[in-house]
Amino acid sequence: MKSHFIKALIISAFVFFVNILLSQPAKLTFAPQWMPQAQFAGYYIAQEMGFYKEAGIEVEFIHPSANIPATDLLSSGKADVISLFLVTGMSARTEGMDIVNICQLSQHSAIYIVAKKSSGIDKLEKLNGKKIGVWKSGFDEVPKAMMKEKKYNIEWVPILFSVNLFMLDGIDAMTVMSYNEYNNIINCGINEDELNVFPISEYGYDIPEDGLYCLHSTYETKREDFKKFIAATLKGWDYAAANKATAIDIVLDRMKSAHIPANRVHQEWMLDRVLEMMMVSDNDAQDNDAQGKGAQNRSFLNKRVRRGELLESDFDQTAKIINSISEKRVSFKFDEFYKPLNR
Amino acid sequence: MKKTTLSYHIIKNVLFFCIALFLVTFSVYYYFARKTIREDTRENSVYLAKTTINMIEQVLTLAEKNPQIIAKMLESSFVSKDSLLPFLKSMLSVNNSLYGSIIAYEPNYYPEHGMYFAPYVYRQGDSICSSILGHINYEYFYMDWYQIPKITNKPYWSEPYFDEGGGNVLMTTYSVPFYTQVNGKRTFSGVVTIDISLEWLTKIITDVKILNTGYAFLLSRNGVVISHPNSEYIMNQTIFTIAKEINQPGMRETGRRMIKGETSFQAAEFRSAWKKGKLWINYAPLPSSKWSMGIIYPEDEMFASLHRMNIILLVLIIVGLISLSIVIFKIVSNLTSPLKDFADSARLIAAGNFNVRLPEIKTEDEMKELHNSFSFMQKELDEYMATLKETTSAKEKIESELRIANEIQMSMIPHIFPPFPDLPQIDLFATLKSAKEVGGDLYDFFVIDGCKFCFAIGDVSGKGVPASLFMAVTRTLVRSISDNVHLPSAIVESLNKSISQNNDSNMFVTLFLGVLDLKTGELQYTNAGHNPPVLIRKNREAYMFEKTKFIPAGLFEDFKYGESSVKLESGDMLFLYTDGVSEAENSQGELFGEQAIMQIINNNITARPQELIDKMSAEISGHVNGYTQSDDITMMTIVYNG
Repeated sequence: MKSHFIKALIISAFVFFVNILLSQPAKLTFAPQWMPQAQFAGYYIAQEMGFYKEAGIEVEFIHPSANIPATDLLSSGKADVISLFLVTGMSARTEGMDIVNICQLSQHSAIYIVAKKSSGIDKLEKLNGKKIGVWKSGFDEVPKAMMKEKKYNIEWVPILFSVNLFMLDGIDAMTVMSYNEYNNIINCGINEDELNVFPISEYGYDIPEDGLYCLHSTYETKREDFKKFIAATLKGWDYAAANKATAIDIVLDRMKSAHIPANRVHQEWMLDRVLEMMMVSDNDAQDNDAQGKGAQNRSFLNKRVRRGELLESDFDQTAKIINSISEKRVSFKFDEFYKPLNR
Repeated sequence: MKKTTLSYHIIKNVLFFCIALFLVTFSVYYYFARKTIREDTRENSVYLAKTTINMIEQVLTLAEKNPQIIAKMLESSFVSKDSLLPFLKSMLSVNNSLYGSIIAYEPNYYPEHGMYFAPYVYRQGDSICSSILGHINYEYFYMDWYQIPKITNKPYWSEPYFDEGGGNVLMTTYSVPFYTQVNGKRTFSGVVTIDISLEWLTKIITDVKILNTGYAFLLSRNGVVISHPNSEYIMNQTIFTIAKEINQPGMRETGRRMIKGETSFQAAEFRSAWKKGKLWINYAPLPSSKWSMGIIYPEDEMFASLHRMNIILLVLIIVGLISLSIVIFKIVSNLTSPLKDFADSARLIAAGNFNVRLPEIKTEDEMKELHNSFSFMQKELDEYMATLKETTSAKEKIESELRIANEIQMSMIPHIFPPFPDLPQIDLFATLKSAKEVGGDLYDFFVIDGCKFCFAIGDVSGKGVPASLFMAVTRTLVRSISDNVHLPSAIVESLNKSISQNNDSNMFVTLFLGVLDLKTGELQYTNAGHNPPVLIRKNREAYMFEKTKFIPAGLFEDFKYGESSVKLESGDMLFLYTDGVSEAENSQGELFGEQAIMQIINNNITARPQELIDKMSAEISGHVNGYTQSDDITMMTIVYNG
């Protein structure tokens, strides 16, 4: 009995080492669309907790800078896979970059337009003729398209990333991400009840945001590795939803090593909001969690979509937005753009 | 009941009062001491804040001057664009606090330079470098330092930032917009900035020390922590994120007031995560940059000296109260210890030992008075007891003599009934009951010449021994006078004369004297001021004799008495009595009365003499009901059996 057990042990060990020697893990480089923050907690966790390694891939992270956006990292081949807003990804494709969406993580829009109550802007109409701050580096398409559709005459003031101009009343209103700038304003001492908030998702513009993109060429060659990457990433997000404190610790570590101001309270807020964006109706666990935490936006609960799925309707609406504000038109089909690898 | 001592009561009351007094005094003292300390600390901290802010302001306002002057110069077109860089360089070279400076123009201000024109000089190590900023990847128009002064038309102190190029130094930028005449119109044309390090500022703030562990911190206009003893907070946190992290809404409110530029000194409405206990905060804004400095110190440190004083005070007071109790106990014990001895003495005196030794008192106080009173009482009691003994023996002697006198008096009046067993015409019974040992009432009867029956009943004024002597004299005189004279009026007149002479004590006697002819039944009588007797006609009726008009004997020597007569039939009865009967008194002061006498007689009209007197006695006893007898009671009944 005992000798059988030892034999079995030796054979298993041998098989194990042979496996390791034979299967060198595939290397992937991932570029999130911005600096380290809780918006990307799932990726960091997948790496820190060894989910990528378990899946048999080795993932390296590179971060874009103010001057070098993630799309540049992808096109230059420095990154194999990147995260982008849907509208950014489709715009890039419109601009001629041959990229495909392989997984749509966020299903909702996090964009708010906020105005101080003291400005008297308490209805969307009152934004007509006002100065609104908007990101200079993208994400401006949806609010601009919305205002265009509403035929409001807006003076858009491009802003890099701070809320200071808004705080000093240099502008009447500002577009913010619910998970980021909105909370920055709160964290600068303005109370929520001193703000009027217009979530654009409530005005028919619930456009999905974060998704994973790769070049069409690599989609074919690294298809299996991408699949593993997506599976491990989703596992990372599940872990983040279940272990928020650990997730935030990991995020804060990343921020500190990148020398950017790290603030637990803000990152906690961001993680909660980002998880809400990813909330899908076919995943009970996530659904319950989001409901339990009191989702910021109740209308999110109504959207029927599977995890990682890009709805054709969202694609069509985004195409319309791009068409309305840019000179080039979206000329590609949904099937050509969306190549799901998560199922 | 538990036995308590006098000292216990006094100590309890005094201590109670002292503690109450102490509490009131202490509360007032504590209130004012606290107020004073708070005021002192406030002044201290306000002064500290003011000097610190002045120190910072000196540097900041000085730094503000450079770009302000340059902006003015650019507006007046004093400087050509080629001389901008050398100009900035020379400015940096003479001003060590400046790290860099930019003059950034609006797009296409100088068409030959295209979109971007921003001469920039900066320190790198010991040398001063220069470059022209602006590029498709560095569009300075959208940066806060450019955009905010442009849009708000005001100089702007930027939020502090870490300068990544210059070795992670905490920096801030001051930007001043400048305007030039374009087409004859004053038009925004760009921004002049200077960069200054905040190292010196954080040093000034960290150098602020108040009390033991009080410290200062600095917030930017957005509430970002610029300086704080906890370096983790710096640039990572705003006061609002800290407030949320440690769940202190009061901190958020304080932060809001701070960034609004308010000034205050108050008990902090929040707790700190890294400094325990209640805190006080003093905050004031920096006028130039609109940043806000706060000074925090723990309340326990602020009031530490007061608390130390309180403990000393408390110990002193407890020791004081204990000493006070001991002293009171000693004093009271000393003062009251003789009381216990007095109590023992009093008990012995009460037991009859009047010569017991009293406790010795050396003081001249109330205790001495008590001692004197005791000793006086002792003496008085002793004397009194001696007198009492004498008096008692004297009284006993008198009493025994009176008893003998009574016996003698009683022996003087006839008291054997029936008195004349061989004289069938007369049946008679009489009693005399003295109120005192010896009485003033009398009765007597005797036969004169074998055919006349003389009887008398009388009452001497007053009572006791004098009355009894007067009565004895009266009785003797009546007997001796009636030996010679047989007429009642003559007997009474003679008696009156005899007793009136030498009657210095003015005594008198009422007297009813009758002489009954045993053969005829003729009764002659004289009533000298006595109660009228009752005549009971046999088997018929009873009636009272008419009231007398004669005065008692012994008052006037020559008073003339007359006599009356009535004829008695066989079986008729006479009832004679003294006023002790009719005036027998009960406890309510009600007299027995003549009516009652007549009633009893009528009810017992056939009674024998003794029987009637017994009935009368019983009724009188019933009336007085045990009340002290005030007068002699004498009754006599005579039946004529002719």
